[in-house]
Amino acid sequence: MMWSWIAANGAQIWQLTWSNIILGVIPPLIGLAISLPLGIIAARWRWFYPPTLTVVNVIYAIPALALFIALIPALGLTDTNVIVALTLFSLCVIVPNVIAGLRGVPPSVRQAATAMGYGALRRLITVELPVAVPVIMGGLRVAMVSSISLASVGQLIGVSSLGYLFIDGEQRDFPTEIYVGLVLIIALALAADLILVGIRRVLTPWMARS
Amino acid sequence: MSFFTYAWDWVTQSANWHGSGSIPQQILAHLGYSILPLLIAAVIGIPAGVAVGHSGRGAVFVVNLANSWRAIPTLGLLVLLAVYLGFSFLTWLLPLVVLAIPPILVNAYEGVAGVEPGVRDAAKGAGMTSWQQVTRVEVPIALPLILVGLRTSAIFVVATATIAAYIGLGGLGRFIIDGLSSYQYGPVAGGALLVVILAVLVLGFFALLSRLIVPAGLRGQGKTE
Amino acid sequence: MRDPEAAATLWWLDEFSRAGWVGDPVSVITFERVTKRYPDGTVAVNALDLEVPAGKIMVLVGPSGCGKTTTLRMVNRLVEPTSGQILLDGKDIREQNPARLRRGIGYVIQQTGLFPHRTVEDNIATVPVLNGWSRAKARARARDLLKLVGLDQALARRYPYQLSGGQQQRVGVARALAADPPVLLMDEPFSAVDPIVRASLQDQLIALQTELHKTIVLVTHDIEEVIKVGDLVALFRPHGRIAQLGTPERLLGAPADDYVAGFVGFDRGIRRLSFFSTASLSLDTGPVLSANATVASARASGEPWILVADGKPRGWVQPDKLGQYQDGTLLGQVPAEPIGHTFTVGTNSLRAALDAAVLSPAGQAVGVDGYGNVVGVATFDRLRAAVQAAQTAADAAAALEPSESGAPA
Repeated sequence: MMWSWIAANGAQIWQLTWSNIILGVIPPLIGLAISLPLGIIAARWRWFYPPTLTVVNVIYAIPALALFIALIPALGLTDTNVIVALTLFSLCVIVPNVIAGLRGVPPSVRQAATAMGYGALRRLITVELPVAVPVIMGGLRVAMVSSISLASVGQLIGVSSLGYLFIDGEQRDFPTEIYVGLVLIIALALAADLILVGIRRVLTPWMARS
Repeated sequence: MSFFTYAWDWVTQSANWHGSGSIPQQILAHLGYSILPLLIAAVIGIPAGVAVGHSGRGAVFVVNLANSWRAIPTLGLLVLLAVYLGFSFLTWLLPLVVLAIPPILVNAYEGVAGVEPGVRDAAKGAGMTSWQQVTRVEVPIALPLILVGLRTSAIFVVATATIAAYIGLGGLGRFIIDGLSSYQYGPVAGGALLVVILAVLVLGFFALLSRLIVPAGLRGQGKTE
Repeated sequence: MRDPEAAATLWWLDEFSRAGWVGDPVSVITFERVTKRYPDGTVAVNALDLEVPAGKIMVLVGPSGCGKTTTLRMVNRLVEPTSGQILLDGKDIREQNPARLRRGIGYVIQQTGLFPHRTVEDNIATVPVLNGWSRAKARARARDLLKLVGLDQALARRYPYQLSGGQQQRVGVARALAADPPVLLMDEPFSAVDPIVRASLQDQLIALQTELHKTIVLVTHDIEEVIKVGDLVALFRPHGRIAQLGTPERLLGAPADDYVAGFVGFDRGIRRLSFFSTASLSLDTGPVLSANATVASARASGEPWILVADGKPRGWVQPDKLGQYQDGTLLGQVPAEPIGHTFTVGTNSLRAALDAAVLSPAGQAVGVDGYGNVVGVATFDRLRAAVQAAQTAADAAAALEPSESGAPA
């Protein structure tokens, strides 16, 4: 393990880390924004639900590299390519969780809200979504961790991220570089996960602490 | 030209179907490179997950694993072993097995741990030994989730085997990696399309399997996945 | 009432006896100074001495957390005592392999615990199959048991999720009975269903018990269930000690202390009456007149109220209010007040008779025989006399009995 190399290349490592963060963090957030309306629709109109699930399962089965490649004619070998692909994957993880979260609201709670005079939209925003937060957040966490890790695969089509350290490390037969990449990605992913757990705690003071 | 046009043109060239490194060969190779790690991972992961689910010991570890296994970058793991071991059987098998275990283990655990407490109590009270409780009651009830774990893992392994072409493994990833380094989009698109089709077929296989294996009584409960 | 079909299905009881399975068809359960203490210091059961006689239903009742369920679960070793021992027919249960022990003990729980992945008949067949029966034989037996618990054969191939709560509970009971265990443990088996279904299940249990004579330990928090179903009652205090042990009638008639009196409830005096028979109640036939009798005879009787009957009771009339009718009018043609309800002499209890009297416009209960024909009527005075006689007799009988065990704290 050559620590000196790390010190010497600190700037480049930071640059790659920052790229990885952008490529990894943005897609789940966009995915969340799209998943919420999609999930709400699917939870409300039953017939929308099975086709949605099927489509989502099929897309999620597509290997990341294949999706990057499929987007090349349209989006080239750019960051946008990776971000769009990872957003699609995030959608696949979060939409089912939005649906499950909303469906998991006890019917008694929903009925009580209606009986007290809440309109459908107000009930959705002030009652159902807050109760669904833990489940939705669970989906967001999975999407976040996966995205940060999968962003490194984008290096194979030349999109810069910490994956560069893997390629370069392999070409130069230099394990230190690879370790740095591994540690940083895993640390980033776990840090993001912890932050999301913290956010969930703040959003759900009504939940018992496990 | 769109992705599909490139892919279709390349896939329909008969030259690609003959000779060494042909499409059918790589499809079979890819299947082999996927099935073997999956089987090993299942043999390790299912009993382990069931044991933890039944006894409760080690549950903390499994729950933490559930949250963190996706953080491991597949490319990094493959490349690390390639640097140390060169290209060998173990170089690709080890990472694939290691990456295939978590979804199987976690889902097997959740399946067994999620059996209703009343059902577990009744099984014990009826006079079943631990082994009988696990094999006759807990595993059958956990079957849908176990299958979900296998399916998730299978798809993950197919995808990772594709990437493993980078460190020299054969299979459909070969077309992609070789095509990328020689700037030929044809094989890249074709390989990608074939991998996608393979993944979707795996999905279909598990859907069929689930229909065949899962007892009717469990299906009726509308278990969500 | 006894179902002749159910009796016919008990052929397997003989078969079991022949196979040496049911040597002694009943079992005595003995608790000797049994204590259960948890690592955090909570004492669930405290030096319990209890004997459950063979072939009887012993009900364990008490507030939440009093240790009744823990006591129950120690019999089939789902919970192990911290000290003391538990004997089944004189043998320490710890000497037996736990799984084997449990196969000889039926276990019914509140949530049923039916295996969702198995059909109803395969659920019932669980223990016989565990004991080595062929699946065909076990399933045949399962179908017999379905009849025994009052379920349609068509349910055999269904799955638990397709059944109602009451049906699931019946399947749970059938499963517990499948291997014909001498002992049956029931943990709040009927709490999760509505009162109508619950009453029906309780009736079924009582009917089964008259056939099968199992040693049953039943845990409940419902005092009404205790009174209806129990032969013997152990009322628990919080923290695992017994407050009183005795028949339900004794708990109502002579509660050991304020705690017991409070637990059995406010109107224990009246509820106790349901244990007293109307067989010895003296009835008056004076106020009973035929529908073909005349208004004149009603006026001549001197009674304030007349019960008009033609075999069956028709209604009450007051002779003083019949002024508008001529002497010759038949009583059957005079508008009469409804009788409320009747009680069947000998079969119904004094409580039913008292209730009939309360509902009657005449303040007199109408007693009928098994066919519904009037036997006589009883005023509140006669009822009071009968009640006092019954209470005195019950108290005297209890005084003669060997002292009831059960450590009042």
